[in-house]
Amino acid sequence: MSAPRETAEVPPTVERFHPEAYRDAGWVRGLAERIQEHARLLGRPVKLMHICGTHEHEIGRYGLRDLLPESVEVLAGPGCPVCVCDSGWIDLAIRLATDEGAIVASFGDMLAVPGSIPLRGETRGGARGDVRMSLLDARAHGGEVRAVTSVFEAARLAREHPNRQVVFFSVGFETTVIATAALLRRGVPPNFSLIEANYFTPPATHMLPTLPGFDVDGFLLPGHASAVTGLEVYRHLPEQGLACAVAGFEPVDVLAAVLELLDQLGRARPRLANLYRRVVPDEGNVRALAELDDVFELTTMRWRGIADIPASGYRLRAAYRHLSALERFPATATAARQDASEHPAGCRCADVTLGLVRPDACPLFGRRCTPDSPYGPCMVSHEGTCRAWHLYGTARGRLEVEAAGGGAQHGSL
Amino acid sequence: MARYDAIRLAHGSGGRLTAELIRELFAATFASEPLAALTDAAVLDNLGGRLAFATDTHSVKPWRFPGGDIGRLAVAGTVNDLAVMGAVPTYLSAAFLLEEGFRMEDLEAVVRSMKATADEAGVEVVAGDTKVVERGKGDGIFVTTTGVGFLPDGRDIGPQRLTAGDVLLVNGTLGDHGLAVMAAREGLELGMALTSDVAPLGGLVEALLAAAPDVHFLRDLTRGGLAAVANEMVEARPFGLRVWDAQVPLDRDVAELSEMLGIDPLLAANEGKLVVAVPPAQADAALQAMRAHPLGRRAAVIGDLVARPAGMALVETAYGSRRVLEMPVEEQLPRIC
Repeated sequence: MSAPRETAEVPPTVERFHPEAYRDAGWVRGLAERIQEHARLLGRPVKLMHICGTHEHEIGRYGLRDLLPESVEVLAGPGCPVCVCDSGWIDLAIRLATDEGAIVASFGDMLAVPGSIPLRGETRGGARGDVRMSLLDARAHGGEVRAVTSVFEAARLAREHPNRQVVFFSVGFETTVIATAALLRRGVPPNFSLIEANYFTPPATHMLPTLPGFDVDGFLLPGHASAVTGLEVYRHLPEQGLACAVAGFEPVDVLAAVLELLDQLGRARPRLANLYRRVVPDEGNVRALAELDDVFELTTMRWRGIADIPASGYRLRAAYRHLSALERFPATATAARQDASEHPAGCRCADVTLGLVRPDACPLFGRRCTPDSPYGPCMVSHEGTCRAWHLYGTARGRLEVEAAGGGAQHGSL
Repeated sequence: MARYDAIRLAHGSGGRLTAELIRELFAATFASEPLAALTDAAVLDNLGGRLAFATDTHSVKPWRFPGGDIGRLAVAGTVNDLAVMGAVPTYLSAAFLLEEGFRMEDLEAVVRSMKATADEAGVEVVAGDTKVVERGKGDGIFVTTTGVGFLPDGRDIGPQRLTAGDVLLVNGTLGDHGLAVMAAREGLELGMALTSDVAPLGGLVEALLAAAPDVHFLRDLTRGGLAAVANEMVEARPFGLRVWDAQVPLDRDVAELSEMLGIDPLLAANEGKLVVAVPPAQADAALQAMRAHPLGRRAAVIGDLVARPAGMALVETAYGSRRVLEMPVEEQLPRIC
C-alpha cells in the first residue's frame, strides 16, 4: 500500500472522484417527480428492500425517504453486517480481549453491538435488566479493543506488538473479506489470527421469498458487494417475480434504482438491471473472486436470530485454518459457544431484518429500546432499520402531527 | 530541570523537584506577577463587574496533533467557554496531571504553547498545580484549566433569549479538529493536510458583539460538534432548529475523509468554532464582522430556529428532504463498508 510511486503526479484517470454530478439537485428533484408519477400509476403500496448498510447510510444522510411517496417504502433487509453477525462471534471477540489478553481489532460499528454475555453491575444509558456486553464494554473493563478501517491496519498492529496475540474480527461481506484474502495470500505475522464472521448474502435473499409473511416487491441490490460477486448470484430473484436493480450510493443512483424497480413492477416484467455500471461489471471481479476462492470456502453460517443458512458464509480453507481464532484459541472458542444465545428476550430484530414486521410492531421499540439505550442490534448500528426508523420515523411522525394541527409553518419546512 | 529528561514522581511530591519545576518552568514561562510571587493563592485586582467562571479538563491522544497540542487546547477551551458567555477572559489557572516518565522537553513544549495561546487570547496564567502519577496510571498528560472573565454591563447572552426566527451562523468550517485528531491518532496516511482549528475565540466574539450587540446566544462547538449543540438548543423548548446542509462550510479534505470513513462532520469535534443565534435584522452585520476577523473568514449562515417542529433539530438537504440531526451518543467510529 505504501509502495513508492514512480512519479508524484497523479494520473488524471484516478484523480479524486467528483460525486457532484450524482448529487445534482435538478436531477434528484426530477427523479423524485417521476417516482411520484410511477407510484400513482401503480396505485398500490410498494415495499422495496435494500440489503446493504451503505445504502441505508446514504438514504438516511440525504433524507431520501422524505422524497418518496407514502405508498413507496424502502426497508433495510439483512444487509447490515453488524446486525446479522451472530452473537457467538461477538462473545468470542469479547472473551479474547478480556480473558486471553489479546488485542482485538475490528471495524468501528462492530464495537458497539452487544453479544450475549450479560453486563453485570452496570446499566447503559439508564437501561436496566437484560443488558449484554459489547466490545466497547469489554474495552471499558480493561480489554484492548481497537477500531481499524482495514485488515491491513490490524496486521500492522500485529507487527507493532510481536509479543501479543492480535485478532482481527473480520466481519462484513465481499467488500471486506476480499481484502482479508489478499492479505493472507501475501503473508501475516505469526501472532495474527482472525475471527471468520464474513457473510455471503445471496443465499439469504434466496431464502427470504419462502418466508411466510414476506411481501417485498423488489430489491435494491448492493453496489460494492456486487462489484466483486457480479449479478448472476441474484438470478433467482427475478425468476421468483421480484424486481431487481443494482444501485450505486449517491442520491441520483438510489432514486434511479427506485424508479427502475417501479417501472419493472408497472410492466410486470421483473429483471436483473444493473444501474451501477460505472463500478459493477455484470460478471463481477474475476481476479478478486479467484483470490477469494483460494483462501476461503463457503460454509453454513448462523445469521443472528434468523437461521443457519447453508453456503452463506466464508471459512478459511485447510491451508489457512491455522490463522483462525477458533483453531488458535480452542478453549475460549468453546466457552464462547456456550454463551451464545439469540436476540435478547422480546426483541424482534430478526423479523425486522427480514422485512416481516415494521419496527413499531416490536413492543420494545421506542420504549425499552432507543438509540440512547439500544437493546437489539438493529437499534445499535447506524445502518440498522430500527435506528433509522426511530430517527426518521420520529421526524416524519412529528411533522405530520404538526401538519394535522393546521400549522401554516409546515409549508415552509 | 535540565537535570531530568523525564518526569519523576518527586516532581509532584511537593519537595525540591516540585519547587524547581514551578520556578524554572511554570513561573518562568507564564511570567505573570501572581505566579512569580509563589504564594498559595493568586490575589487579583477587582475586575469591576459580574464574573464568569469556567473550568475544563483536557486529555487528547496524541497530545500533539497538526494545528496544535494539549497546551493550546487547554487554554483555548476555557477561554472559549468564557467568551461565549459574553465575558472578557482575563485569568487562568492550570493544573497538570503528569504520568511518571513523560518527557521533560514535551512538558516544556506544552507549557510554551500554553503561554503563546494565553498571549494570543490576552489572558494571564496566575495559579497552578502539578501532580505526578505512577507510570501506567495516567495517559502522559492531562491539563485542567480554570478561568475567570468579567461581563461588561448590558451583556445578556444565553439560551433564555433564543426564539423562533433567530438566524444561525458559524464562524467557519466544521469538524476540522475531530478529523485532524482522528487521522493523527489512527495513523491514517492520506496525503491530506488536515489541521485542527483549535484557537481562542475571545477576540472574534468581541468583534462580533461590537457589530451585532443583540446576539441572543453563543456556544463553542466542541465534542459532539454542531449536532450536540443544536440538540441542546432546542431540547424541551417551544421551537425547533433547521440546518441547511449545503450552506455548512466544510474543508475539502475534511469532507472527503468524512465520506471515506462514514463520519458526519456535523457530529465531529471543533475547538475554534462557535455557533451564533442572532435576530434576522443583525444577521448580516454578524456575518460581515466575523468574516472580517482572521478566525471567521469562512463564516456562514447555516440555518435558523423555526416554530415547528418544536424540540427537534433537522437537516434540510439541497433537495428539500429532511433528516434528524441526531444527538451523538458514542464517539463516532469509522464504518465497515
